[in-house]
Amino acid sequence: MATRVKFLCDADRCIECNACVTACKNEHEVPWGINRRRVVTLNDGKPGERSISMACMHCTDAPCAAVCPVDCFYTTADAVVLHSKERCIGCGYCFYACPFGAPQYPRVGNFGSRGKMDKCTYCAGGPEADASQAEYANYGANRLAEGKLPICAEMCSTKALLAGDGQIIAEIYRERVLKRGYGSGAWGWKTAYKETIAV
Amino acid sequence: MGTKVKGENRRTFLKTFGGAATIAAAAATAPLAVREAAAEENDSDKKKARYRETDHVKAFYRTNRY
Repeated sequence: MATRVKFLCDADRCIECNACVTACKNEHEVPWGINRRRVVTLNDGKPGERSISMACMHCTDAPCAAVCPVDCFYTTADAVVLHSKERCIGCGYCFYACPFGAPQYPRVGNFGSRGKMDKCTYCAGGPEADASQAEYANYGANRLAEGKLPICAEMCSTKALLAGDGQIIAEIYRERVLKRGYGSGAWGWKTAYKETIAV
Repeated sequence: MGTKVKGENRRTFLKTFGGAATIAAAAATAPLAVREAAAEENDSDKKKARYRETDHVKAFYRTNRY
């Protein structure tokens, strides 16, 4: 079976340091106002607080691709959803369709005046030739073609964000849960939060 | 009568000039269009798998197991 690359964020480990966000912006020279990745925190400052790093999840049946009127999206053989900025008309339909808020635009405006859509490329560039100047200018670095993984996952200090072959990272996560537990059953939870708080 | 001839002349001029301008614009933009199309990879190339299990990737998996 062909490899399907995925992101997996371990909410037990994410400490909302935002290193993934910063590393992404730096690697791809993402312009001001666009965040390809962001950290979402629930119950901030309260017991049971949880953070998760979110970006394009490279859906199997991507809703952005389903609604795009100019058909600018395509899925690669390793299941990365990419798009062509040459074709994008900045209509904003993909933004409304995406359940993760991944598509971003360089300008605030109405239909067509927002500029070309920008989103996480799984560090796999775009439709231009691999590692070309044009590809870097439009989509950022193509780390996948260099034999590397997305910079956000490689930079993660607590190893919360996993990237790579879906089968392998699922296995890694399973091993972690078996060894350390998860939620309030995780190793060290009772030391940190006593027995009164459970998630 | 004289006015009519004048009007016709102006229309003829605009028709000729407008046509020439359109052809010139098409000639000027055509090489650009070809260059842009060549900049994008063909369909099979852009959809090919880029993920490889290199030593770098294996090191990532290994260090994430603990």
